[in-house]
Amino acid sequence: MAQPLRDMHDVELAGLAAGGGRREFGELVRRHGSAVRGLLRRMGAQPALADDVAQDAFLLAFEKCAEFRGEGTFAAWIKRIAARLYLKRISKEARYVAETETEDAAPAVDSIGRVDLDEALRGLSEAERLCVSLCHGAGLSHPEIAAAMNLPLGTVKSHVKRGLDKLRARLQPGPVAIGSASHVG
Amino acid sequence: MSADEFDPAIERLFAQTPHFADSAFFEADVAARLNKASRVRSIALSAAGLAGGLIAVRELLGVDFQLGPDGFTAHAGGGVDSAGAQAGIQGGLAVQSLLERSGLGDAALSAMGSMGGMQMFWATAGVLVALLAAGVVKLSQQI
Repeated sequence: MAQPLRDMHDVELAGLAAGGGRREFGELVRRHGSAVRGLLRRMGAQPALADDVAQDAFLLAFEKCAEFRGEGTFAAWIKRIAARLYLKRISKEARYVAETETEDAAPAVDSIGRVDLDEALRGLSEAERLCVSLCHGAGLSHPEIAAAMNLPLGTVKSHVKRGLDKLRARLQPGPVAIGSASHVG
Repeated sequence: MSADEFDPAIERLFAQTPHFADSAFFEADVAARLNKASRVRSIALSAAGLAGGLIAVRELLGVDFQLGPDGFTAHAGGGVDSAGAQAGIQGGLAVQSLLERSGLGDAALSAMGSMGGMQMFWATAGVLVALLAAGVVKLSQQI
């Protein structure tokens, strides 16, 4: 009897998907779709664009599944693909190099101490938000971000540092419950 | 929370997967796009294979094969442009040269000599169509 898809490891599923297994790839989409969509929204993509890029990322991943060797996690691999695709999309508009006004958003920790990362990210400029998300969400190194965004390494480092400083300030007040999950409609 | 422990905490926050109410729709959209891409590719491959096969057969129809002790010769027949006919002849000669290099030339020649004209034609056409199909598949994989 065949092993149920839900019991299979990502690497195993990716191997079968590389051979054209669409059902197996569908299971990978089920497992990681939300993470990819969430990352893209945290990078600043509007919901419709985020979903469009996420779909493109999964289609590209299906084509390139044979290249996934399981050195890292599948989630990290697909997130990097999605992040790079999103950067390509917005690089046409050269939006991220522009410093945009940050929103004067509400504190990102509620009265019972739940942290809302999405809310906290709204307080960052677009460049800071992208750099922080690429670094901590997609797992790209500073030099990789600099290359992907076509920005000097020093600029990327300062965007990350300023972004983290702002996040720290916004996530500090009140007791912090890191384990809480955010819900997006 | 100190600055030192902040980065891992941020990574943990980023690692939390948000819940989307429309996850099922998203998964269905990806599946639909995968199926569509697969259909388009199948149609393109089939069309390319069919076109290649038709061209190969058309070119072969214009080549007059002659087998004999002097070797394999081919002449372009009427009604076919000379470039296409030359391609057919070159293809035949290349196959023959390959067989000779692998030491199968005489055996293949005697085997082909015992075949009828039409059998010979269809065998060669089949080989060429198979080669074309393999080439198209390989090309599509590289793309």
